[in-house]
Amino acid sequence: MKKLVALLLVLAMAIACLTACGKSEDKPAETPAAETPAKETPAAETPAAETPAAETPAAETPAAEAPAAEEPVEVTNFTMFITMPGSEINSDNEIAEMIAQKWGVKVKETWLTGQTASEATGTLLASGQYPDFIDSDEMNMLVEADALVALDDYIDQYPEFRDEWFTPEEWDKFRQPDGHIYWINPFGNTMGKSKATTHNDEAFWLQVRVLEWAGYPQIETMDDYFDVIERYMAANPTMDDGTPNMAYTILCEDWRYFCLENAGQFLAGYPNDGSVIVNKSTMTIEDYNTSADTKAYFKKLNEEYQKGFVDPESFTQTYDEYIAKLSTGRVLGMVDQWWDFAYTVNDVFKTQGLDAKGCNYVPFGLTTEKGMVNRWHTYDDTVNQASGIAITTSCADPDKAFKFIVDCTMDQELHDLRFWGVKGVDYEVDADGLYYRTDAQRAQWADTSYQAAHRCQYSYFPQWHGTSRDGKNANKPEEQPSEFQNDMAEPLVKCFAAYGAGNYPDMIGSIQETNGPWFPMYSYSNNFTTETPGGLAWALMGETKHEWLPKVVMAADFEQGWADYMNAYNACNPQDFLAEMQEILDTFK
Amino acid sequence: MAKSAATISAPRKDRKFTWKEVKRQKVLLIIALIVFLYGILFYYLPLFGWATAFIQYKPKFGIFGSSFIGFDKFKFLFTNESIGFWRVMRNTFCMGALNLVTSTFMAVVFAILLNEIKPNLIKKPIQTVSYLPHFLSWIVVTGILHSALSSTGIVNEVLMALGVTDQAINFFAFPEYFWGIVAFANVWKETGWNAIIYLAAITSIDPTLYEAASIDGAGRWAKIKYITLPGIKPTFMILLLINVGNVLNAGFEVQYLLGNGLVKKVSETIDIFVLKWGISQNDFSLGTAAGIFKSAISILLIVLCNAWAKHAGEERLF
Repeated sequence: MKKLVALLLVLAMAIACLTACGKSEDKPAETPAAETPAKETPAAETPAAETPAAETPAAETPAAEAPAAEEPVEVTNFTMFITMPGSEINSDNEIAEMIAQKWGVKVKETWLTGQTASEATGTLLASGQYPDFIDSDEMNMLVEADALVALDDYIDQYPEFRDEWFTPEEWDKFRQPDGHIYWINPFGNTMGKSKATTHNDEAFWLQVRVLEWAGYPQIETMDDYFDVIERYMAANPTMDDGTPNMAYTILCEDWRYFCLENAGQFLAGYPNDGSVIVNKSTMTIEDYNTSADTKAYFKKLNEEYQKGFVDPESFTQTYDEYIAKLSTGRVLGMVDQWWDFAYTVNDVFKTQGLDAKGCNYVPFGLTTEKGMVNRWHTYDDTVNQASGIAITTSCADPDKAFKFIVDCTMDQELHDLRFWGVKGVDYEVDADGLYYRTDAQRAQWADTSYQAAHRCQYSYFPQWHGTSRDGKNANKPEEQPSEFQNDMAEPLVKCFAAYGAGNYPDMIGSIQETNGPWFPMYSYSNNFTTETPGGLAWALMGETKHEWLPKVVMAADFEQGWADYMNAYNACNPQDFLAEMQEILDTFK
Repeated sequence: MAKSAATISAPRKDRKFTWKEVKRQKVLLIIALIVFLYGILFYYLPLFGWATAFIQYKPKFGIFGSSFIGFDKFKFLFTNESIGFWRVMRNTFCMGALNLVTSTFMAVVFAILLNEIKPNLIKKPIQTVSYLPHFLSWIVVTGILHSALSSTGIVNEVLMALGVTDQAINFFAFPEYFWGIVAFANVWKETGWNAIIYLAAITSIDPTLYEAASIDGAGRWAKIKYITLPGIKPTFMILLLINVGNVLNAGFEVQYLLGNGLVKKVSETIDIFVLKWGISQNDFSLGTAAGIFKSAISILLIVLCNAWAKHAGEERLF
């Protein structure tokens, strides 16, 4: 009898083992979004233009009261993964809850931690289980694995959205070789009149306290830039509280090494094509890695490094360490993209009172020679067709998911809720219908724990710059003139006044011109795979630059270091990569 | 442990294979069958995945739909210099060997030293504290290392206070320090844990041997040299053999978390290489090829060492 029991047990276990392995078909059942497709709610269908946000009472109800009322909308929970580091919001986030109550969708966003974007995407692919929404830097990998839902039909279901968000040519840029559109870039679209106040691009940044001390000099070249820094360091080795000042640091971690790598293209006066330079007159691709401007840039960095003005930890620090360093206010200058540091660092400056001490950064559009035109600032909307928000095949209710993407774009009330917050709590409306924040509201909005508990931007869903549908306000608070002015601490205001600049783009003073239809070229190279010789070359070039550029900056003998770097660089066959980029450019001839 | 391994591996010659015997051991055999099935299921069936290395694998088409390319990926791996596979092999092997030597040596020394402490009141807390780091995850350990070795970290401050250097050393910028840092991290984290098994081996040594040695006039040093060390030798050999097979598992987290562009030439291990090419560059086939090669080398290492142990008349695995 005992043996029989044992035998049965054995069989049971063996079967359990086998079935445990065989299960993969019931994937959709596991996703939290498996609820029945909710009927689209009347609220969400109201064309946004007819209900200006300020007048709708529903949005004004504080979150605490909203759930108490009987639930009119069935809430679908979606998941989203974004291959960028970010802060997760609390699961009971107030605005997220309000959005869920009204639009029936709640999105749990998760962000990149520790891995690189391609590792995270590759791991998802290997597992075969995807979040409902994804925004990855490696979209082609996902398409190749049939992980994404083709969006063409959905887009055509919402003609207003289709026509307003992109032009037909822009939509075509998103078409993959199979003719389908799989993702929508959520950024860089301006509604109505542009209200851009920030320089949301790359620049040589410098703290206003340095400029104030030096009497606001003209800074046009790297020599000017480092001259001011060196003089300031000699006169002010420490901050008020005794923290030693740091002249210049470089972020070099993973893909963010653009902070070290691509300044050469700008110094030569070209716009941010990212991976190559496009010579418009001859319609040829040029390599900035080997150009004289780039070499001069590294020579200058090397010189400053030898003099001890470049942070010796530049090449070993992580992004977190870099942001922590900037947040202390001790770093005088660096090259970076605004969005890569400013949102985090400026909030910290505000909470710590460092903005009043002149720690904010202003951009300089340096060029190799004095008097050259610079193209650091991108005036047009940049459509980066390499990435964007996509719906995966794991999503149980793609209709509702896509509906939410459209709502985010088309519903001003939702847009205001995401970026301005709750009326009466996060912002006020004056007699003219203009939104503004009080000082207390501004401070609260910048507070990280408040952000986690209250603020919900769904920042990788489509969003507008420029003017709101009410025709008065800015879509983003930082672009509201009154907000922009009031948000600036005094040293920053003085600095702008001294240079006669009204905002950041004025400050950098780039030439206003329209970029070619190929712009930006990086949106093509980002999608290269190692299967083509050019793609392999591109991967290897990245590896080589990652390793050698720091060595070049640190080299005791610059010329020798540069020559060694060039040898290693040429071994990667960059010509294969350039040839493939040229092929792409030729399609625009 | 060594003893039981020896008895199991020694076949009992007096017993012949008969159906009667099978029937008698039915329950035992069935229990063994579970383990056998488990092994098949989780160790051998996944090996079919190795087929990935011989095809141009596309997730869309699966293993059977992708095109067959034979040994192309291996050829690419071994001959393309710019992807640096041999350098990665060297890094892995050297770091693995360094880790093996340092951690084994430290564990033995620590176990012996600890054994020499007689009062349990002192000995037990030391032992407990020493193996606590084992339970920390690597991300925590590398975080500690990163800040300890930074320019404002404790190591640089001590060095500067002692006047060894007048400027902070940026340890992670020099390739020549990297292997040492990794070995140190391993020793710091695992010494206490590894020492447990040696402590157990020392405990099983017959105390009368020590008594007899004392009567013969042996001091502490002589007792360690002539009784303790020979006593733990079988354990030492078996552990060494097992670990040799792990040399190429030199680590992933430490190197991944501590590495940066400047030290990449010496920091990348096979596991990082597989991640980089297999997952990041989405070339599953190349990643698998590298993985297969690693397994082949590991098996070769174990077989060679086992043969050597057999030749030298020491304890061995098979």
